[in-house]
Amino acid sequence: MDRAFQRTQILTNHLLQFSPPSPLSSNACLSYSPPELSESYAFDVKEMRKLIDGHNVEERDWLFGLMRQSKLFNPEEKGGKVFVSPDYNQSTEQQREMTWKRIEHLLERGAFKGWLTEEGEEIEMRKFAGFEVSSIYDHSLFTKLGVHFFLWGGAIKFLGTKHHHEKWLRDTENYSIKGCFAMTELGHGSNVRGVETVTTYDSNTGEFVINTPCETAQKYWIGGAANHATHTVVFSQLHINGTNQGVHAFIVQIRDADGNICPNVRIADCGHKIGLNGVDNGRIWFDNVRVPRENLLNSVADVSPDGKYLSSIENPDQRFAAFMAPLTVGRVNIACSSVYQSKVALAISVRYALTRRAFSLKPNEPEVLLLDYPSHQRRLIPLIAKTYAMSFAANYLKMLYVKRTPQSNKIIHIVSSSFKATFTWTNMQILQECREACGGQGLKTENRVGHLKGEYDVQSTFEGDNNILMQQVSKALFAEYMAAQKRNKAFKGLGLEHMNKPCPIIPSQLTSSTLRSSQFLMDALCLRERDLLNRFVADVSKCKSEGESTQQAFLMCYQLAEDLGRAFSDRAIFQTFIEAEATLPAGSLKDVLGTLRSLYALICLEDASYVRYGYLSVENGASVRREITKICSELRPHALALVTSFGIPDAFLSPIAFNWIEANSWSSV
Amino acid sequence: MASSQHEQVLVEEKSFARILTFNRTKQLNALSFQMISRLLELFLAYEDDPNVKLIILKGKGRSFCAGGDVAAVVHDIRAGGWRAGANFFMKEFTLNYLMATFSKPQVSILNGIVMGGGNGASMHGRFRVATENSLFAMPETALGLFPDVGASYFLSRLPGFFGEYLGLTGARLDGAEMFACGLATHFVPSAKLPMLEAALCAVDSSDPAIISSIIGQYSERPPLKEQSVYNRLDVIDRCFSQKTVEEILSALEREAVDRREGWISTTIQTLKKASPTSLKISLRSIRVGRLQGVGPCLVREYRMVCHVMRGEFSKDFFEGCRAILLDKDKNPKWEPSKLELVADSTVDSYFSKVKNEDWEDLKLPARPKFNLPPYVIAKL
Repeated sequence: MDRAFQRTQILTNHLLQFSPPSPLSSNACLSYSPPELSESYAFDVKEMRKLIDGHNVEERDWLFGLMRQSKLFNPEEKGGKVFVSPDYNQSTEQQREMTWKRIEHLLERGAFKGWLTEEGEEIEMRKFAGFEVSSIYDHSLFTKLGVHFFLWGGAIKFLGTKHHHEKWLRDTENYSIKGCFAMTELGHGSNVRGVETVTTYDSNTGEFVINTPCETAQKYWIGGAANHATHTVVFSQLHINGTNQGVHAFIVQIRDADGNICPNVRIADCGHKIGLNGVDNGRIWFDNVRVPRENLLNSVADVSPDGKYLSSIENPDQRFAAFMAPLTVGRVNIACSSVYQSKVALAISVRYALTRRAFSLKPNEPEVLLLDYPSHQRRLIPLIAKTYAMSFAANYLKMLYVKRTPQSNKIIHIVSSSFKATFTWTNMQILQECREACGGQGLKTENRVGHLKGEYDVQSTFEGDNNILMQQVSKALFAEYMAAQKRNKAFKGLGLEHMNKPCPIIPSQLTSSTLRSSQFLMDALCLRERDLLNRFVADVSKCKSEGESTQQAFLMCYQLAEDLGRAFSDRAIFQTFIEAEATLPAGSLKDVLGTLRSLYALICLEDASYVRYGYLSVENGASVRREITKICSELRPHALALVTSFGIPDAFLSPIAFNWIEANSWSSV
Repeated sequence: MASSQHEQVLVEEKSFARILTFNRTKQLNALSFQMISRLLELFLAYEDDPNVKLIILKGKGRSFCAGGDVAAVVHDIRAGGWRAGANFFMKEFTLNYLMATFSKPQVSILNGIVMGGGNGASMHGRFRVATENSLFAMPETALGLFPDVGASYFLSRLPGFFGEYLGLTGARLDGAEMFACGLATHFVPSAKLPMLEAALCAVDSSDPAIISSIIGQYSERPPLKEQSVYNRLDVIDRCFSQKTVEEILSALEREAVDRREGWISTTIQTLKKASPTSLKISLRSIRVGRLQGVGPCLVREYRMVCHVMRGEFSKDFFEGCRAILLDKDKNPKWEPSKLELVADSTVDSYFSKVKNEDWEDLKLPARPKFNLPPYVIAKL
């Protein structure tokens, strides 16, 4: 009907000479048809948004509104709509200043009220929502806030004690001081225990003396250090009476209130980067900088005025782990924010695919909408399913974090590592696919999708290199296995309980209804995890029996470790999807989520490991593939509703998501 | 071919233009159900009529349109239950949507009072012409209602947080202020209106650029009065960007200490006199509306207005109408009486579907999928 109508319109316009207002708009051959008018919503998109945002929807909208209504957030009108996005064509220095001005603006409006001075689940969830929204505007804004509140503020909170809290938290929350976090060095990134900065104690003056002994010990990538930060937490080896007590954290002032660099501190810029140029990353050298004894963040260990080392934690491994606490919440934040970038990119590319046409199937027929091509559906719709899955998993992770207990720290560490790595990798894949799905338009910075790749690439590196995090996941699973075996006890926690049950069996014939049953899908994901864990343990044990050390054995078995890490993540994510689905009453929302859930798991079953280790026969693999294309075409009518439910306001999408013809018209030049 | 003088909407056909005049001067042209129905009918007919290229809307007498005929709505509800009221708004919001998405330009001549529903009948159109006689307000919170007729769309698009200010306080604007903030697209001195009308009637095009340049020939840039609140947008932004009504009030009170300006204390007084429930749902509505297209805004407002008419969570609307329109004692007794007594969960309820058998969300009329003008597409 639409096509017929369009053709009649075109013919009518030709025949009746529809009084052209200007020569350029006379040819109505390719007019923009808003997807809102041709697509319908089969479920309540507001309810869906509430479900996948999970919390603080009103707070999010308030923050979106604050940014949308301020000139500082660079509103620009394109095609009759206003978009807010930083001007990435500004110089590095300008971008840094604008990021800071935006933070100041949000601060004045009360956006960070209570972020460090209030306690409890409510404020923690509000903070997560605030971070997610800031990341949707700009990764530099998110990162600069994250460094100040979560890394600097978190270090004070987790590693400091009462007098540090009283002295620093309120001043941090209202930005009387600006903090940064000096952990990484030129020579040491992930291996924090190897940092070369050295701190000694001078009992004559009651001061610590912090020193950068060599070039590889210079602090590197320190966000905020190049321009704005006044204070930093320095991670350094602590030498007491010739004994190295390991890595400890110290507060050092690096700039005075007027922004002058303090004596014995040298700071240089990290220079232009592939993204995140609104963050002033810097390098710091300390030339025997003296700080008072109280500046040691002493929740884990302390030095007495006369220079004795005191620690409540005897084991240096555990002591070190305690120092890494601020990084955990950083990982949660990174994981969650990456999901929102996938949402932005998918909302843009799906909306574009619902309005952009290419090629006619027959001569003189209208060209076909991109999203009506089965191949285009196959490219984008599984990514929507993945994004829904990651949303539920992110909500689970946030809840796990805010409800943390000393007993759950290990689980949080493993799940946050696994989800951080998986989400940020998936996000990069989604951004690339969406960029390509938008064709040439995806290359324009104003259209966001392509630009986000440069901005978010860093997520696979900071707060823990993804590969290293995933190795830690496999090692942790290995440890669980050994513990269960040694004590002859059942698996408990991390979702590994399925290991206690008999091994699931994949039917030789897979029907459509089997392929969509959550029981079968869960079985298939558990089967892989179980088998890979068994194989990993067997291979590591074999290496060890041949005389290798445990560490060496892990290194040798890295391929299995990677497959296992992925198997764990996919299954854990799927689990959260099933749980979210179970909270819903029967109805249209549950129906569409059920379909997405199946699609998500089937995509996981397409992973090479299923064929590599023979969990699926070639025939089964073909059934999975067929079912995926079937589901994609079933979900095609819901595409607009599914991306609208992401809840990204129009102003935070981009011109190609809307009337891209008008946005590019001569009159707009 | 002018229609009868008794008609509430007068229709003149002038070449490719149609002039629709509100003709209910005694009620300051308040929109009756009959007027809304008539306008709907006319707009639908004009959409398909190739001989119509432009619609001019104006009011007879000193008012463009003072709003929906709320007194009649209350009367209908008393006689026939809340659904009678809901029907009125369903029709009115449908008209608002049609105007917002109309394929041909609408020029509204706002030479007098334009309030509430009057804004719904004009602000969604492409051109709004203010004059020295214009008097704008969205006074619903004083009545126990909230800024409806798509106000959560058009108020929220004003600069900064001016929309929150107008919607919560019901503050009045003159023509110059309307032009400055963008509620009016043009300002034409009333003396020039007959010439403007004649020029518009000679147009044979729907091209907004052509129509804009014609109106431009009669337009002026009116100076803002020195005391105009629009000159205090920085203060308004600081206060009305706060998260909650309570925080907005305390921000205003802080400003009042620093800068003893009359308008701040007036603003505080007005907010304290308005219905607490109305203030809270209005603020939420404008905030959500800022992130939505005009259609979803009207669908949401229809949910809200149905809840208001049902009076399940609060009967402030009926109390407001009693105090302002019927008894005219101007002393409404709101219930809950204080902001802090209005629970967030109650506010949430106004945004949920109405739990009533055979109640349905507002069904927006279908719009042509192709060849809508870009300024319409941008609102969807």
